[in-house]
Amino acid sequence: MQAQKTASPGNVALAAAGTFVLVFAVIMVAALMNAPIRLGPQVTASLGSYMAEVRKTAIPFVVIVGVGAAALGGGTAITVQRVWSHPRRRRAMLAGYAFLTPYLLTTLVFTIGVILFALYISFYKYDIFTEPRWIGLNNYVRAFKQKTFLQALHNVFWYAAIVTPTQTALAIALAMLLNAPMRFKQFFRTIFYAPSVTSSVVITLIFMWLYLKTGYINLLFDNVLGVVGIDWKAINWLGDPRGLIQIIAGAFGVNIPSKLWYLRGPSIALMAIMFQNIFTTAPTFMVMFLAALQDINPALYEAASIDGATGWEQFWQITLPLLRPIILLVIVLSTIGTLQIFDQVYLATSGGPLGTTQTPVYQVFTEAIGTQGTIQMGYGSALAFILAVIIFVFTFLQRRFIERGTELY
Amino acid sequence: MAAPSRHGVATLTMARAPQKQIFDKPAGYYIGLAVRYALLISIGIILITPFILAAIGSFKTDAEIIAWPPKFFPDKWLTENWVKVWTTDLGEGGTFPRWLFNTAFLAVTTALLKVVGCSMAAYAFSRLHFPGRDAVFNFMLGSMMIPGAVTLIPAYVLMTKLRLINTFWSLILPGVVDAGAIFMLTQFFKTIPRDLEEAAHIDGASQFQIYKDVVLPLSRPALLTVFILQFQAMWNDFLKPLLYLDAPRMWVLNVALSVFKQQYKAQWNLTLVGAMFNAIPVLVLFFFFSKYYIEGVAYAGVKG
Repeated sequence: MQAQKTASPGNVALAAAGTFVLVFAVIMVAALMNAPIRLGPQVTASLGSYMAEVRKTAIPFVVIVGVGAAALGGGTAITVQRVWSHPRRRRAMLAGYAFLTPYLLTTLVFTIGVILFALYISFYKYDIFTEPRWIGLNNYVRAFKQKTFLQALHNVFWYAAIVTPTQTALAIALAMLLNAPMRFKQFFRTIFYAPSVTSSVVITLIFMWLYLKTGYINLLFDNVLGVVGIDWKAINWLGDPRGLIQIIAGAFGVNIPSKLWYLRGPSIALMAIMFQNIFTTAPTFMVMFLAALQDINPALYEAASIDGATGWEQFWQITLPLLRPIILLVIVLSTIGTLQIFDQVYLATSGGPLGTTQTPVYQVFTEAIGTQGTIQMGYGSALAFILAVIIFVFTFLQRRFIERGTELY
Repeated sequence: MAAPSRHGVATLTMARAPQKQIFDKPAGYYIGLAVRYALLISIGIILITPFILAAIGSFKTDAEIIAWPPKFFPDKWLTENWVKVWTTDLGEGGTFPRWLFNTAFLAVTTALLKVVGCSMAAYAFSRLHFPGRDAVFNFMLGSMMIPGAVTLIPAYVLMTKLRLINTFWSLILPGVVDAGAIFMLTQFFKTIPRDLEEAAHIDGASQFQIYKDVVLPLSRPALLTVFILQFQAMWNDFLKPLLYLDAPRMWVLNVALSVFKQQYKAQWNLTLVGAMFNAIPVLVLFFFFSKYYIEGVAYAGVKG
């Protein structure tokens, strides 16, 4: 680092200009790489074609990039002015940004750059090979007009609504069970956590086999119900489109027509995936709760039992309120995860039967690789943004409602 | 992570306590204890049953694997299944050892890079004072809330434009840093006493020397935790490799397995062998380093 240079206005201007150029260049490169290119990947073939593409494709970005870089450069100039005359602080700043370089470069390109690009193409019809065509809000309007996307949202709402509370409650129960003083605690904790370390692909394949019509899940039902004398008819779990509400209504003789698919509730196939998801994710959250439980001061429980509180009362009055920040975190993480479910659907059902396991991320994926006919990057990005907004709203509401009364966060 | 030994010591002393004073508690206590252990053991069994069934299933014949009612043990243990899967060749260089290598290579490389990139950023966040630091740090925390679905398509387009599809770079380059790991390391670095660094500083060591020779050696457990968690994350990743690596030569195990399912259709025994090949390395790693795994996850929860 050029720590030996003396401070002067010239240095400050130089630093600001340098920052401006650097930021402009990095954002420009990100913009170029992201920008639609008619001829496809050959852009890096020669310097000439590269520059031609910069000119042609970066124009929509010039204003944004220019304003952004000027703001950053100006801000930098002001800070540099403040810091530059103190050799110690100057060194600290240079060192700080040197250490942050890998993070900043990666984030600038692979987070900020790509998200700006996604926002940009979500207003275009874009198939990656030809020039994108401006279609305004059409992608967003189309998403809400198509049954597939609405059904996908409907499915993941059910999914999140059932999986999140269930696995949170289970995780707390498991953690309470493991938190008591006992032998082999480490051993049990390791065994409980084991399903969470294997990949979702492995778990899904194993469960697909267990869910077969001739699989162990049907065998389990057959044996258990056989004891009470009920004859179990084997179900093809992952291929059964019947909805939960539909089945319950059917038991009372009410038939819900397929036109009213949104009243049928989660299908058996979707619930089978839910079960598998709870199975593998609950132990992860259990570990978080376990760590939080160990941080609770035992004196609180001693005081409570002297006052005559039962174990059950202690759980509701002491444990749960103190776990609140972790409960919030787990619910937020779980909601973000469940609304973006993909792996299980891709492998086990491909969105079927009758679209009852369609999910938004699976649709984004199919639009990107073009299994629905043509590749539609713009439409796919619009779907992703709609989902992102929904996720933000959910997490915001959860924070509002659960965070009340917790000062820890 | 904060104090791995603390819980261990606490458990040991607590576990020994009832041993000294045998049967001096009311009967309800022992019934409760028995119920607790019965619950723990049955939950443990339920949680590992799918793996046991799948492991046994991988030795069954084509007929046995889909027979009704399913039989727990095969009549004859078929090791041929394992050989058959290991020698799979789908052409274009798509062989099983190659997929195993791809997966391991990517997992090790990205985990190592993350240890370097994240610890550098964490050092800047925890040790250096400079303008803009808190703004960048807060931005990083906020970026953890961005759903991955939003970057899926544009990152794929970017990789196409950079001609990085079907190269390992497509997964390595974006994987240099991870906001969660940076946050964890930042919190850990803050717990390291500064005395040593100040001594090094007075001796004229540069910031980089302090980072490399003082802070990193003192943070081995935290760095190992980051390595293990990131290794596992890459090993288990599916969606990004599925998009970026579509030539059989470049597949990772997870992608190959998803193809197995179509390739072998009803031959679930072969698919299960593939699943075992995928699961065993991470499970072995987990059983050896379970302390680091669990401390890492717990740390993310408690301090996050």
